[in-house]
Amino acid sequence: MRITIPHIGNMYIAFRSMFNGVGVEMVVPPPTSKKTLSLGVKYSPEFVCLPFKLTLGNFIEALDMGAEVLIQAGGPGLCRYGYYARDQEKILKDLGYSFEMVTTELFESKIVGVANLAKRLSNNAPFTRIASAMRFGMAKIAAMDDIERTVHQVRARELQKGTATRLYREAVQAIDDAQDGRTLKSVTKDYTGRLRAVPMNTEIEPLIVGIMGEFFIVLDPFSNMDVEIELGKLGVEVRRSAYVSHWLKFSLFLNAFGISEKDRIHQAAQPYLKRDVGGDGWESIGEPILHRGEYDGMVHLAPFTCMPEIIAQNIMPTIKDRLPVLTITCDEQMGRSGMLTRLEAFVDLLWKKRTSRQMERAPEGRVFSVGLK
Amino acid sequence: MLRIGIPRGLLYYQYYPLWSTFFQEMGMEVVTSNPTSKAIMAAGSARMVAETCLPVKVYCGHVIELVGKCDYLFIPAIRSIQKNVYNCSKFLGLPDLIKAVVPKCPPIIDVDIDVSKGKVSLHPSSYEIGRWIKPRPKREKEAAKLAWESHLAYIKAMESEMVSPLEYLSGQKPSLASQGNEHFTVALIGHPYNIYDEFITHRIIHRLNTLGARVVLPEMAGRDLLAAGVVKVVGRPYWTYEDEIVGAGGHYLDADVDGVVAIVSFGCGPDSTMIDVVQRYARRPGARPLLTLTIDEHTGEAGMVTRLEAFLDMVARKARRRSA
Repeated sequence: MRITIPHIGNMYIAFRSMFNGVGVEMVVPPPTSKKTLSLGVKYSPEFVCLPFKLTLGNFIEALDMGAEVLIQAGGPGLCRYGYYARDQEKILKDLGYSFEMVTTELFESKIVGVANLAKRLSNNAPFTRIASAMRFGMAKIAAMDDIERTVHQVRARELQKGTATRLYREAVQAIDDAQDGRTLKSVTKDYTGRLRAVPMNTEIEPLIVGIMGEFFIVLDPFSNMDVEIELGKLGVEVRRSAYVSHWLKFSLFLNAFGISEKDRIHQAAQPYLKRDVGGDGWESIGEPILHRGEYDGMVHLAPFTCMPEIIAQNIMPTIKDRLPVLTITCDEQMGRSGMLTRLEAFVDLLWKKRTSRQMERAPEGRVFSVGLK
Repeated sequence: MLRIGIPRGLLYYQYYPLWSTFFQEMGMEVVTSNPTSKAIMAAGSARMVAETCLPVKVYCGHVIELVGKCDYLFIPAIRSIQKNVYNCSKFLGLPDLIKAVVPKCPPIIDVDIDVSKGKVSLHPSSYEIGRWIKPRPKREKEAAKLAWESHLAYIKAMESEMVSPLEYLSGQKPSLASQGNEHFTVALIGHPYNIYDEFITHRIIHRLNTLGARVVLPEMAGRDLLAAGVVKVVGRPYWTYEDEIVGAGGHYLDADVDGVVAIVSFGCGPDSTMIDVVQRYARRPGARPLLTLTIDEHTGEAGMVTRLEAFLDMVARKARRRSA
């Protein structure tokens, strides 16, 4: 049984190691490309959101490579992402492919559901083996996330632009190649050290910009046109609260015990949005309030026609005392240069804001140097 | 007397008899906005992010019209009315959304209705509303009972007497029940807030009638057949109002009608995938012809009429061939 999972950033690395660990072959779709997108757009409904089109494109490419089982997220209480599997199954069947569509229903049965799914797909591998494969896969995600956090800091300060990004790509490759826990640990340590040793400008205090918005778009560099790398090139340190390892830890284990990582964000959002609207809309209201004083601004990413993020976008202007927010709507019509222009303007604005704040606080006659070149 | 505002948009078409009876029994005066007009739509669109779907913009326009004319607004947050079947984000966030975008917005009575969280009966919600209203001439329980009865009467009238919601709500004489000399029947499917808003869909029911078609509506099929339609096409329902599109589509595409016209609004999250499922179902051999019209605030009347005429020509030809 050859299974496949659509791309979200580098998640395939963890999934592949998980499935290989229990003896299931995983077909990794070719990296998401313009071709993937145009395949997806061609067969998708007209005004569906971007993740639908991209994941459909991934499925088509994977089916052409011989995949037999498709895994897609599902279950009630999501936004329309929960409907993806139903429609995509019909689209692909109409195209003449034969396959089985499996939905995770992750939100209903947490870790047990995932383990049961793995057991079914792996022809009844023992649970101990499944558990160790899952633990190793999650360790890979955690390793990638750790390195990414470091990369965000280095990218903003490095003297030779592009070094951190290059090292990050190497690190991802090395993590993908790691076969056991010990190698994984040494790879993580090695690359963290190499990243810290990159020559950096230690005098500047870079702007700090948070990334928030719809989970898929935030985590998938193809959809957001590498917004984090582009911000890094502009000398901005990127922070974000959406990390897959973090999210998995909570949604698989801790939420079952009533611990939610997002309580603080939701509390901040309360005065403006009282209830969960599905997707990440609630978080998009809470984050610019919660992180004021900590960040300089936030970039809000959303796919075109995303329902929860539209709610957030409508409410955002009325929030008093929040960080400046730049909303970028992503779809197949988006152009890189248009996005860059807006990022540059936003970063300029944030620098001005910071400078004027420092001027207000500065004792008379003192001149401040800022990082704007 | 306290005045409660119920905007003429979104769920108005499903629940107005229920809501208005409840509030009247509670001793309040019910105020409704006028039917949608160009000014209402423009006022709503101007306050919202461009991507927002048309019905929500129109709803916002209706709220703006009610500002100053009522003491409270009734905008419930309906999360689920069936276990594990959830509503679109825009219904969940509606009270907060309206509060944010409408200037000088009156206080909003925003009860949560969430069957999945165990709020199975109407009474907890009606008590919650009751807390807002002082003094209370009648107990909430009685008012809720009467309200529920008027809701059932409304559903029954649509189902067995072939009254369209529009006629029922405006007190017009039912015209759809008496029609019958036309040569063919067309089912009109879509969310009530789209198909019964005469402004945004350019009086489509009337237009279909004048073009010689007998019109049947989703409500007339009854809830059981609509639910069966959903099961037939996709299995377990995912969205709260899935029966209005997928259910009605699944039912009428196999039913004794000559054609089906579906109305969806551009940018609608649930509709974007639901209509695709229906369109694929319509491609099966033997299914009735389907016309999908996507509406937004720029929908031109002429463009819509042309497409309806072309579709009805085709349907009429098919009907003639079948009877010959």
